[in-house]
Parts: sequence; structure tokens; C-alpha cells
Amino acid sequence: MIGGAIAQDELYGFGPGRRISAGGQIGKADRGWRGDRRDYRSGDLRMKELLEAALDAAVGAGASYADARAVVTSTESLTVEGETVEALERSESAGYGVRVLSGGAWGFAATSRLERGDAPQVARRAVEVALASATTISRPVELVPEPVQVDNWETPTAKDPFAVPLEERVGLLVGCTSSMRRVPSIRVARGTMDLLGQEIWFVSSEGSWIHQRIVQTGAGIEATAVSDGEVQTRSYPGSFRGHYAGGGYEVVEAMSLEDNAERTAQEASALLGAAECPSERTTVVLDGHQVMLQVHESVGHPTELDRVLGMEAAFAGTSFIAVDDVGRLHYGSELVNITADATVPGGLGTFGYDDEGVAAQSADLVKNGVLVGFQTSRETAAAMGADRSNGTMRAEGWENFPLIRMTNINLLPQTGSLEDLIADVDDGIYMATNKSWSIDDKRKNFQFGCEIAWEIRGGRVGRMLRNPRYTGITTDFWSSCDAIAGPDEWKVWGTPNCGKGQPGQTMRVGHGTAPARFRNVITGYAR
Amino acid sequence: MRASALVEHEDARRAAGYVLDHPGADGVEVAVSGSRTGLTRYARSQIIQNTARDEVRAYVRVVTGDRLATASTNQLDHAHMTRAATSALEAARASRADADWPGLPAPSDVGLPTPLLRWDEATAAFSPQRRAEAVGRILRAAKPHSAAGIFETSAHVYSVLSSEGIDCYDAHTRCVTTCLVDAGEATGWGEASSHSVDQVAVDDAALRAVRKAEGGTPSADVTAGNYEVVLEAPAVATLLEYLSYAGFGAKQVIEGESFLAVRSGQRVTSPSITIADDVSHAGSVGIAFDFEGVPRRRVAVIDKGIANVPVTDVRTARKLGVASSGHYSGSSQLGPYASNLVLESGEAESDDLVGGVGRGLLVTRFHYVNILDRPRTLLTGMTRDGTFRIVDGEVTEPVHNLRFTQNVLEALDSVLGVGREEHAFAPEYGSFGSTVARALRVGEFNFTSTTSH
Repeated sequence: MIGGAIAQDELYGFGPGRRISAGGQIGKADRGWRGDRRDYRSGDLRMKELLEAALDAAVGAGASYADARAVVTSTESLTVEGETVEALERSESAGYGVRVLSGGAWGFAATSRLERGDAPQVARRAVEVALASATTISRPVELVPEPVQVDNWETPTAKDPFAVPLEERVGLLVGCTSSMRRVPSIRVARGTMDLLGQEIWFVSSEGSWIHQRIVQTGAGIEATAVSDGEVQTRSYPGSFRGHYAGGGYEVVEAMSLEDNAERTAQEASALLGAAECPSERTTVVLDGHQVMLQVHESVGHPTELDRVLGMEAAFAGTSFIAVDDVGRLHYGSELVNITADATVPGGLGTFGYDDEGVAAQSADLVKNGVLVGFQTSRETAAAMGADRSNGTMRAEGWENFPLIRMTNINLLPQTGSLEDLIADVDDGIYMATNKSWSIDDKRKNFQFGCEIAWEIRGGRVGRMLRNPRYTGITTDFWSSCDAIAGPDEWKVWGTPNCGKGQPGQTMRVGHGTAPARFRNVITGYAR
Repeated sequence: MRASALVEHEDARRAAGYVLDHPGADGVEVAVSGSRTGLTRYARSQIIQNTARDEVRAYVRVVTGDRLATASTNQLDHAHMTRAATSALEAARASRADADWPGLPAPSDVGLPTPLLRWDEATAAFSPQRRAEAVGRILRAAKPHSAAGIFETSAHVYSVLSSEGIDCYDAHTRCVTTCLVDAGEATGWGEASSHSVDQVAVDDAALRAVRKAEGGTPSADVTAGNYEVVLEAPAVATLLEYLSYAGFGAKQVIEGESFLAVRSGQRVTSPSITIADDVSHAGSVGIAFDFEGVPRRRVAVIDKGIANVPVTDVRTARKLGVASSGHYSGSSQLGPYASNLVLESGEAESDDLVGGVGRGLLVTRFHYVNILDRPRTLLTGMTRDGTFRIVDGEVTEPVHNLRFTQNVLEALDSVLGVGREEHAFAPEYGSFGSTVARALRVGEFNFTSTTSH
């Protein structure tokens, strides 16, 4: 089959009747990538042969290490506005990238042309790129060891989202938007649903051969009220197209969108006449959705080891943390325990293996308020003297070089409920649902805005406040955390739009969070 | 046939030809894009990532009655194109009627675009070795300091074809370099962008960054408050891009979220400010039509200080009762988008903006800007890589970075001077579009907090 074209006789895609791999259980085995192929279905075998041809060429051209990763992604994005389907966009993308180490430096080449005969040329291009990189390096790249992995992994799903009739899904969202439109002052009522199915094949020159099948589903509703130049938006269950999780259509069914449509619109309408959030120092209680963004920006990004080492300096920035801060830096109060956990069920950062073939792990980042670790790769783990990567290298699609990306960065729960957190506040503000975010290039000075807030007086929620925001310095803020709600309030949120890298890559990441309370916070809204 | 272009016009025509008469569809539109990108990324004064990638994509929009849907694929063979059309038709049939849909545009209604072909063959063919040599020059210029940034060359081709007779093609190349120099106590920034690698002076970008980084240890003795500021062109470009995102598109106007919804016809900035979307400007990098094949017209969204009109596509143009300006973004969710912004020359041009400032700040660029209030154009973000104090018309010392929280239109209303020199910028995310900006002297700019560096 060398020189044949996979694309001529295989349709790449996802969903009913479109899968090129059923992802049959391969099971772990001590086999090299040239080992027993009998367990693989035809689609896997063809992709494997394509990737092996690339590896052969890369090694033949002098690469000291090579991996090749093919990705087939299918998505469907549905947006309903009022009674109209505003956008219904389906996409399919297939291709592969070859990453090599040659002359001690990285090279990467990628193509959507799935002609097996092209694979050696793509691999040689990657080696050419690496050798060009090598002209500037002062220290060759080293990788910590990783066991050879031969395995198959799939997102557990109860209900294939691509198999749910489109009419049913449109009907659900139109039901919600119609309900929201009946509320006075609502100018725009929108419902969204996003499906993703992804097949990933990974082969390395060390002998790993991994297939993964990822399924993620998201949905949400939002209502925008307009009056006299004032615009207020309220969403459910989260902003920016709702909530996303690893799993099938059961993720949508668990949201009870229709039950929350009218309330969502009423809150948007009520915000038009609400008082402005005051500018003051006060106690703030944040809902789980806002804690998600707080964790993301002020813990997730600064603990990425490539940032700490200056590798993202020119674009996304660096970190206020130094490598030798591990075990010494007081990140927050003793209640603050944060993990990078790619094994937690339902997260957007949940998988079997990262994109350099490292098995999914749960790693401590902050323990009892003290920094204890970073998110690492095989290269950066070696640079800081660690024995093993904790498996956070991820790439958007086939066309990108993997970077250290958040998996599921989780703030572990403590005890009690949201009501308990509020009951212990004499004078404060409860803020809900992230609306905006901004943080400096070392991840210290941040400012967040939320969709809605309420006064807290005498342990009870009072009048509604609009345009809430708060600002702070990362370690001061986390040190002021004096309560985190318990497991019953803890949820793994998903955010599908984390940007990093050049070329820019958008990653899907998860955050397990519960409502939390912070003292002595600066709030307010400047115009 | 250009050696570096992946999907020539004939390739796109062939792919579109598989589906333009797709059975059951009343109309079909196919937009095809192709790109070849080489991006060399360096940090800590060595190349750390180096990528070469080829991409193609076809977007197939299918109309049945007043229902429509889109499916895309990156495999342009008959089988995948047909499946994309079938999938889009299936989705359109399951959709709901769109009363505002005017139908696919026809050349007889919208005209024929003339390709801009901002193409430089040397840029398209630039090799990994040449990129590494360019990075080497940057690193030598930055010595003895640590440097980080990119050197990128890319080639892009676009075609739009439809069952209504649209058949257009354009192409451009681009070269971008950025350079952050870290002198230990402070960082500095330089960048350059053009459609041609010959017009990107990597040494100048690096030396600008070096000069800023060598300004000394930033002073912590700076407080939040209202300042007169000189915003250098990179900072202005960021504000323009967020202003466009906040409200230059007709969809935001129709939904009441744009400042144009309530202030059209009113003065919103200093009369010295004209902000247009103009792909034909010499500094712009883009194509002559939008993703519906409609020729892109220059639109002055703010014209000599007056809020004018938004950019449109066929759907929003019909809703507003105007002709499409040719700005369909390719996404119904986003709607029309102004992607080639130009801050035009104004009445207060000056070569020396700093010289007129009594006490104020000089801002090199902004970081992590976000919208707080869309209709009010209220933004927040941080300064970075060179924030300096100005005293009596002289730049005196670097200061710690500050967070701004500012209504952009109000800032532009207080403009006291417009820089004479134009600078072109590539977008931070994605390959489409460009921004041409100038430095501005702004009378009032609100900083709300400081940070540690």
C-alpha cells in the first residue's frame, strides 16, 4: 500500500456511519510500534502505516527522536437566535504532524494531504526545520524517559451526540429562546450547542502506539436585555456558549436548559434597573463558574513550566513563579489545594495520554497553600531535574506543535454549601458567572468581571447589583481565601477557548471548582 | 501557478465543481482557503519551536428555500466535498426559516472584485534556513541580552465560487517578526510586519527593543490615576482592534450592543480621528472580497470624529436597508467583521508627540486587553515591555506597568496629536487581516492599578 492514498477510499469524519475506527480495545502490551498489528481495524492500520512511513523517513534523515500524530476531528456548532437558526456549521479536519529532534533541536512539519507517498517528504521537511533550529541552540533538548505505551483510550459516553436528531436539538434550543423572548426588554435570546469528536493516533520512534477517541459536548443559553443604551446579558449554565464536558448528549440533558430559560432572561432584564456594584474593599463570595476563571488565569497559567522558563515570554508572558519557589512559595491560605488532573471524569482536559505519549496523571500544584509543582513536558521536566513529565503536552489538531497546556486544573473542595459561605458574611458581595478577564504578563495583577452580583447583608443575599468586577494580586488574593464549599457544590467546568502559543492554538481545558469566599477584596466599576 | 500556493484558482474551481449543482440544493457557495506557513519561535536567545505547515479548507454553504447551513472539510476530493454538501443540506433542512436571508449574492448585483495580489514570491519561498538566519541577526542585535519572539513567513490563497456565478480569487504573503528583549531589570519590545520579507527590518525591531530594555530599573513610584499619555503604534493598534471587535460590525448594531446603535451621526472622538476598514490601503494585507465573494469597500466607521456606519454582509445589509460592504467573516455567529483597520492621517499630525507633554506616560504596548462594557467601549488591560515617565517633554525613566480601565472613544476624543509615521501590524490570532496604526498623544487615559514590575 506504500504510495497509495488513504483519502481516496476512506472518508474521514465522525459520528454515525462515519467512524474510521471503532476503537476496539487493544489493551496494554509490551509491543513495539512494529509489533503485532492484528488487533487494529483497517482504518487504524492505514493510519499507522502512514505515520510509520513518516517515522522511518525521519529517523533515516538523522532524527534522534521522532513522533507522528494524526488527528481526525469532526465538530458541529449550532446557534439559535429567537426562532431562527443563526448558524449551523459542521466541520471535518484530517491531517498529521511530524515532530523530530535533530541536531539537538525541535522541528515540526504538518500537512492535511493524507497520501502515504508524501509522508517521507513531510518527515524530511521536519528534519530540515530542526537542523535550521539547531544553528542557534546553546544547549540541546533532552527528554525525560517515558515508558513505551501501546494502548487505546476512549471518552466514556452514554449517548452519541452526533446520533441525536438535529431537529430534536434545534427544538430544545428554540424552546429555550422562545421562553426567554417572552420576558420584557430581551432583545437577543440565544441558544448554542457544540459537539466534538476526535480520533487521535500517536506513534513514536521509542515504540509507543496510542489511539484515542475523544468526545466532548457543550451547550448553553443566554439572554441580552437592552434599554436606553444599557445592555445586560445573563447566561446559563455558563457564559461564552455555556458549559462543556467530556461525554455525549447526556451532558446536555443534565443541564435542564428549558427549566432555567425564563429565570435567566428575567435576571438579564432585572439587571437593567439594578444598582451599580460599589467600589470598596469587602468580602466577596464567587460562584463556581467565576472560581473556574480565577483558577485558570491565576494558577493554571503561571504554573505552566514553559512560561516559568521564559519560553512564552514574547507572547503570552512569563510567570511570577521561579523554579526554586517549589516548596517555599505561599500561594494561598491552607485551604487552597490545586491539582492538574487529566484523570478526573468529564473534564475537557481528560484523556488517556498527552500529545507526546505520556500517560494521564494527577499532579499536585498547590498543597495546603504552598506551591509544590508545575505542569510539565518531557523537555521541561528534564530542564528542572524531574524524573518524569506529568503529561500536559497538548496540541490543537494535527497541525500544531504540542505545548504545555492545562489539563483539568482543580481547586479541591472543602466543606459546606454556598449558603454556608454566605451565612458567615455580615457585609459583602456574591458574584456569579464570568464575564471578562485580564491579567498581567507575569500573572499577578488581575481584574475579573461577572454577569451579576448581589449584596450580602447579615448573612443573607440582598439586592441585585450590575456590572460587578474585582481586582487583586494573585498570592494576596488566594491568601485571603477563608472558605471553599464542599463536594456537593464541586463541579468540573469546561472552557473551550484557552489561547496560547504561536501559531495561536485554542485548547479545551477543565476546572473542578466550588464556590469560594475571599476577604478584603477590591471591588468596583470604573467608567 | 505559484510554487508556494497550495490551492490555485483552478484547484478551487475543481473542488467547487463537485458540489455547485448539488441535488436538492437551491444554491451552493464554496469558499476555499489554502496556506503554507513557516514560523520560527525563539526564546532565551535560541530557537525553541520551529514549524512548517500546509493547510487547505473548503466551506460549503448550502441554501434550500430560506434555510441554510455550512459544512467544511480539509479534503478537497470529490467524496469529501460531496459529503460536506450533503451534510450541509441535511442540516439546512433540519434548520428553521430565516426571514432575513436575502439569498446568495450574484455578480450582477454586487460587482466583480479586482484581485489585490499582495504577493511576494521571495516571502512565499522563504526557507527554514533563511528564517533561522533572520533569527540569528535578531539575536546578535540583542546581545548581550536575552531575546524572545517570532519570525514568520506565510502564503495564503482564497477563492469563492457559487451557483449564482461568483468566481473570485486572491492571494497574499506575509512576513512578521517580533522581538522582546529582557535586560534583567526591564523588558523592551519591537515588531515589524509586511506582505514582503524585504520590507521587514528585523535589526531595527531588535534595536528598538534593546533601547527600551536598557532604560534602567523601572520605578515603583507610579500611582494609578488619569494621565496624559503617548501611546506608541503597537498600543494604538490593540485599542483599534478591540474597538472594532466591540462594535464595528452590523450584527452588533442590530443587536444593540455597538456604540453605533445609539451614537451614529454623533461626534464620538476628536475630529483628527478617522478609522476605516480599507483593504486597498498600501499597508493593508488582505484580499479584495469577503467570504460571500462581495468586493470589499472602504468603510470609514469613524469619519473625522463622527460615528458613521458599520461594516456589513448581505444578511445584515438587507436588515439595515443598505448594500453589503463586503465584510462577511465566514461565520454567521460572528457576522460581518472589519479586519483591515486603518487609522488614517488626521489634522493633528506630528513628528514629536512626546515633546508637547508636560507630565505623562509613554506606553509601548498593551497586554491581555478585554471588553468590560461593549456599548461604552470600556476596556481593561495592562501595559508591558516599556512604560516610561514623561516630564517636560522628555522621556525620563521607566516605571512599573499599570492596569488601564478606559472608555476608548473618550480617550480618542481627547487626542492632542497624531503620529505622522504609519506602522502595519498582523493580527495576534490567525492569519487574516491587518491593522495600520500611528502613535497618538491622548489627553486623558485612566489607569486603575499598578503591578510589581
